[in-house]
Amino acid sequence: MTTTNDTPNEASPVDQTLPEGQAQPKGRRIPAFAIVLVVGVLFLGGLLALMLIKPPQKALCDEPAPDWSLTLFPEYTGGLATETINLSDFRGKGVVLNFWASWCKPCEEEAALLEAKWREYKDQGIVFLGVDYLDQDPAAKRYLEKFDITYANGPDLASKISKRYTIRGVPETFFIDPQGNIVGCRKIGPFVNEAELDQRIAEIKP
Amino acid sequence: MRRFALIRKTLIVCALVAVFALALGSGPAQIASAQTPTPNQINEVARELWCPLCNGVRLDNCDLQACIQMREVISQKLEAGESTDNIKAYFVQQYGDVVLGQPSTEGFNLIAWIFPILAAVVGLGWVAYLVVTWRKKQAAPAVAASGAPSGGQLRRPGEEPDDYMKRVERELRETE
Amino acid sequence: MTDLGYIAIILAFLLSLYGIAASAFGALKNRPDFVGSGRNSVYVVSGLVIFAGLLMWRALLTNEFHVEFVASHSERALPTIFKISALWGGQAGSLLFWSMLASLMAVVATFSFRKQGSSLMPWVNVVLLVYVGFFMSLLLFAENPFARLWMVNGQQVISVFQPTGAVALIPPDGNGLNPQLQNYWMVLHPVALYLGFVGMVVPFAFAVAALVTGQLGNTWIKLIRRWTLVPWAFLTVGILLGSQWAYLELGWGGYWAWDPVENASFLPWLTATAFVHSIMIQERRGMLKVWNMVLIGLTFQLTMIGTFLTRSGVVQSVHSFALSAVGPMFAAFIIITSLAFIGLLIWRLPHLKSENSLDSVMSRETAFLTQNVIFVLIMAATFLGTIFPSISELVMGDKISLNAPYFMRVNGPIFVALLVLMGAAPLLAWRRSGPETLRRNFLAPISAGLLSVPVMFLLGNRTMGGFVGVAIIAFVLAGIIQEYVRGVRARRQSTGEPLPTALVQLVRRNGRRYGGYIVHIGVLMVALGIIGNEFYQSEVDANLKRGESVQIANYTLTYERLDMVDGPNFTELIAPMTVAKNGRVVGEILPKKHIYDKNPEQPMSEVGLRAGVVEDVYAVLAGWDNMGDTASFKVFVNPLMSWMWVGGIVMMIGVLISAWPRRVATTAEATRRVPEGAQTA
Repeated sequence: MTTTNDTPNEASPVDQTLPEGQAQPKGRRIPAFAIVLVVGVLFLGGLLALMLIKPPQKALCDEPAPDWSLTLFPEYTGGLATETINLSDFRGKGVVLNFWASWCKPCEEEAALLEAKWREYKDQGIVFLGVDYLDQDPAAKRYLEKFDITYANGPDLASKISKRYTIRGVPETFFIDPQGNIVGCRKIGPFVNEAELDQRIAEIKP
Repeated sequence: MRRFALIRKTLIVCALVAVFALALGSGPAQIASAQTPTPNQINEVARELWCPLCNGVRLDNCDLQACIQMREVISQKLEAGESTDNIKAYFVQQYGDVVLGQPSTEGFNLIAWIFPILAAVVGLGWVAYLVVTWRKKQAAPAVAASGAPSGGQLRRPGEEPDDYMKRVERELRETE
Repeated sequence: MTDLGYIAIILAFLLSLYGIAASAFGALKNRPDFVGSGRNSVYVVSGLVIFAGLLMWRALLTNEFHVEFVASHSERALPTIFKISALWGGQAGSLLFWSMLASLMAVVATFSFRKQGSSLMPWVNVVLLVYVGFFMSLLLFAENPFARLWMVNGQQVISVFQPTGAVALIPPDGNGLNPQLQNYWMVLHPVALYLGFVGMVVPFAFAVAALVTGQLGNTWIKLIRRWTLVPWAFLTVGILLGSQWAYLELGWGGYWAWDPVENASFLPWLTATAFVHSIMIQERRGMLKVWNMVLIGLTFQLTMIGTFLTRSGVVQSVHSFALSAVGPMFAAFIIITSLAFIGLLIWRLPHLKSENSLDSVMSRETAFLTQNVIFVLIMAATFLGTIFPSISELVMGDKISLNAPYFMRVNGPIFVALLVLMGAAPLLAWRRSGPETLRRNFLAPISAGLLSVPVMFLLGNRTMGGFVGVAIIAFVLAGIIQEYVRGVRARRQSTGEPLPTALVQLVRRNGRRYGGYIVHIGVLMVALGIIGNEFYQSEVDANLKRGESVQIANYTLTYERLDMVDGPNFTELIAPMTVAKNGRVVGEILPKKHIYDKNPEQPMSEVGLRAGVVEDVYAVLAGWDNMGDTASFKVFVNPLMSWMWVGGIVMMIGVLISAWPRRVATTAEATRRVPEGAQTA
């Protein structure tokens, strides 16, 4: 039996509490759970704040291009000697780095233009590289065949390159100068304007 | 902006972006020979995979062209006699853990698995601790058992316990 | 006219600041005039907010496309009902709608408590006004629903007031409402959910008031019991309506995808459910006072955090709105109010001591406490799962996907434990249960649970999940029935009433308890639906020519034809299918696709459904060719799904019984009421 409840006492806590409620018992310490609560709130708050201020996307404008390595489709090495390539292999050349996928309708709009420009510029120190984003071999190869692509292309396994370049979708194109720096910002969406592509390539010519 | 429709992050759930013509385009390819896996066999595998382009859409429910292609690959691999686990492993290699719909059990992502277990241990441990300490307290006459009673200073002494006792009595009457 | 709405928001914001100051000053200095003024400002602020909301509705209904929100979220051809629901079809509008409901809640709460708990009320008003005021500041500084479209030097500008040299831009038609929202479920679901969310501010306000005034006894708990049950019921309905929407509109045969937005509505429901139970312990035994405070604080904050997560762009999701200043403002509000609440809690800690202690391990208190912890556990796991992809992205730079498989693996076992506790807790007596009582109370339910296994086996079940799930359901159900049988028997013995009268009287006299059991029965029905869908679903994909059939389970579905019908703002394609069960035609279902004029790239499925007690036949029209010569379908047979929705209704009936104000007060309640009345005098 919880007998204490029946005794009409309990004057002390009431007196302490009310009406001002300011009187604090002496020598009290803050219990562990309260500390845990406060720390928890601060931690969560900090985390949420971090998530809020995180830049949604690295701009990657006019800065050194992150390096990567890519295993090319065997049929699409673009005349390169090896199937596994690194971006750093292309110092001294201008690189047009194009992210695409076979399921991507807008990519088709620029595919023919990219191929034409590759053929036009390949002897002028420009390399075209296609990075195939979240795609599958059979469909990707059908796509490459359909547009008669001859420049180097390879699948982006586990989206490693796409993540480093923080692409938001496909197509996206980066222009990397012979020193390995990205020139200007990425081009989001397909190139439909030939002059624009020519102009961007001119900026990275060795 | 509309042209650039396949922006990953703003992608509306794929299940809703049905591209009809394309969806059907892949149909005939699948009904080529008797050897070809049926859509249901493909779905059996696709059910365990997740669309890498969308948020929370299972591969068998996704009508994106990319998903249709993935199912096409499943079909080919089934035809080649590969097991479901093999196919899953292949997709993980291609796309990363994102296709599994759950975090991997290594590295940083392990936290997602450990935390619930840890929380369970702490939570249930706390209940156990409370039960033990409160029972101990009860052994000694409950001195501290009279915090701030109901209604602050306006409380009628003795009202609460009476109320409580009646309830217990009624409770006992009801259950006995 | 919409300028008036903007002015109303400004006034509401300023007045809520005044009301906060007046209420607090009045309470601290014991000045009833200021307290009264603060109370009146709740009414006026709410009136202004509701006025602003009505103006927005007027703009939507009269196609005022000069207003940017209307132009972006409505169109001329939109059916009237969706013009009304377009208010919550976008960020700014839904914040305004939220504010309206919050105002409504504030008025009802302030009015209905005008005679009770008088010393708490000023502080309750302070909290309500802080809440409404915060939403006003969101509308003023982050998302203004009243902003209009202007042209300045050929540039489109969005602004409330006319910029210099601007010409009004009035588009001939709007962009239309998101097709996902153009169905009746999305008219009802957000209303129910928001009512649940804003409703939780009332018990929270009372908790704060109790902490500030130091009246930490059971008074506030008793005052807010109904005010917790009702928002809880709205949350439940909102969640179930959302599931129904997913089931009927998303067309993947499921009802819950553990999507961040779904989780956001689920998180406060979990802690609210824990709270609804644990206040019983405080009421009866004077225990868990701090815990209850933490729970209600958590519930309130989770209603805000859920909104924050899904609106700030932190977590991407199906229904997320675009990134805006809303995120930081929500974050600041959540952090500041959480810390303030914890501060209050620590300050009052010495007066929140437990009046009793646990007597026995085998007691209802222990069961409730465990149940509470489990609810919080599910909440924590679900919360982590919801934000983990973002954390992972932050730390590892790699966004992972974390979907149903994770949540099922983590939460599944916890839910099973919870269900068992739900059955066991009512069988345990308060304080302690002796071995004799235990045996008597548990014998029948456990037998029922065990007996279900061979029965299921004979019925042809071979699924582990089915055995476990049904056994637990049988156990819980038998326990509840036993409680009813004993109650009725006791009544009949003491009063000699006939059985129906005894049953009705039993429920009337102790609606809290027996209503609660009805809620539990509803939960069991929902669980049955989940088990059916989870373990016994059949699925088939089919490409069919006209007249061809597909087999699934013991059904044969025949594709008849493809019809095209013009809707008000969409084209509807209907592919009727004849359904035959075991060779006998039993009906026709109509899988449809809606292609909206304004959003043709986002066609919406309307599933063809033949709902049944045992199973649903469910077909989705996936695509078609050559004007419907062939069509592809996804067909499901979903066993026991109807039980889920009926279970939801049963839960609501239970809540109604439980929360219904009883005229015929039991003796215990009568004795309780007198001192309360004296208190307010």
